[in-house]
Amino acid sequence: MFDRIDAFVRDVSTIETEIALAERLDEICREMGFAYFALTHHVDIRHTPGPAIRLANYPSDWVDYFDAHKLGPSDPVHRASHLTSVGFAWSKLSRLIALTPRDLQVLELAERRGIGDGFTVPANVPGEANGSCSFAIQAGRSLEEDQLPLAQLVGAFAFEAARRVCGVRMTGPLGEPRLTDRQRDCVIWAARGKSDWEIARILGLSHETVTEYLKRARERYGVGKRTLLAVHALFDGTISFNDVMKR
Amino acid sequence: MITIAERTAQPLADDMLRAMFEARKRVFVDLLKWNVPVIENRYEVDQFDDPHAVYLIAVGDDGEHLGSARLLETLRPHILDTLFADLCAAHPPRGPDILEITRFCLDRRLPAARRLTVRNTLVSAIADYALMRGVTGYTGIAEFGWLQQILAFGWRCRPLGLPAVRDGRTLGALWIDIGSDTPALLAQGGVYIADALGFTGERRAA
Repeated sequence: MFDRIDAFVRDVSTIETEIALAERLDEICREMGFAYFALTHHVDIRHTPGPAIRLANYPSDWVDYFDAHKLGPSDPVHRASHLTSVGFAWSKLSRLIALTPRDLQVLELAERRGIGDGFTVPANVPGEANGSCSFAIQAGRSLEEDQLPLAQLVGAFAFEAARRVCGVRMTGPLGEPRLTDRQRDCVIWAARGKSDWEIARILGLSHETVTEYLKRARERYGVGKRTLLAVHALFDGTISFNDVMKR
Repeated sequence: MITIAERTAQPLADDMLRAMFEARKRVFVDLLKWNVPVIENRYEVDQFDDPHAVYLIAVGDDGEHLGSARLLETLRPHILDTLFADLCAAHPPRGPDILEITRFCLDRRLPAARRLTVRNTLVSAIADYALMRGVTGYTGIAEFGWLQQILAFGWRCRPLGLPAVRDGRTLGALWIDIGSDTPALLAQGGVYIADALGFTGERRAA
């Protein structure tokens, strides 16, 4: 079976359209014993300005329901995939995240539309929306454990092929840093929940200077709130979780 | 700028290499909890840190370690054939023009944005080094997560076998194809930084 995956990888490394990639995924997904696949960035696909990927062969009424209820960013499978870099079975979701009543309802609704257990391969590339590639079986059947390493590999390479085909990759070298070092220091402390006055004391700056730095930083990201500023700076790697969460 | 260190008869006697071994200990032992040997409770040095290893090291303005990678000859014992041969469906690729990338290390003290620049500089240096020395491909083992990032750099990669779980980590072996178009592919991936090795590469034998 590895030969088949090797052939898949070589094949998708040269294809040029999303449709061609979806066809190859549909094919290999069935050969691995799955019925459905979904390769996606975890965003609300209808409200995303930049390029975002979504390829899937789920039943269309499920896709409509998913979009209508804005499940892109809150889907329990997607949330779980932000916490791990290794594929996981949906039946083991509760080991990764606390499932809310709403989550359980989503999984049950999917099952009613014929989507059974599944296996999700997270695909997180720094500076980009998180993503994943999932494979699911028909409701009522059970997942074959020995297929999971195959799915892991196919998912990883398929996601990369999708990034290439959909033009998600950043073009050109990284631009100038969006924030100055001093602004960045202030954003880290703001992300840690400190007020401007507290940040001024910590960094030995005047209160006005800190307020000015954070105002400029918000302008650079085009956001109005310090919470959003922190989220954007985390997203593009200007600050890291480590910066914010270390003691 | 990246420094190439090779033919290192006494690696621990050299300041730059010592700083690298210390950084490797902080990353691979303290952070990632790899079960690898540590010397003097400070330096991560294993049996492959010998005079045949080549190191590409990113050094800061004050001589501090920013990042590094170790390249091993595949005709000699290396990590894939010695410790992880089961990650390859066939025999691990070997040849005078094939090197194994190991211990890709970004210093833990780097802030996020700088980290990305150092990472890109190192990846560019790895590609340029191959072109300079006639290397046609690299092998390497990566934990999933990191493996997804390696694919995202934009160079041509293929899996060498199915992933396997070792010590609770899911690992995969990769082949990275190197050709004259590799810098362009890395540039499309937003990764390539030209001239990472300097005009001819700053070389030193420690």
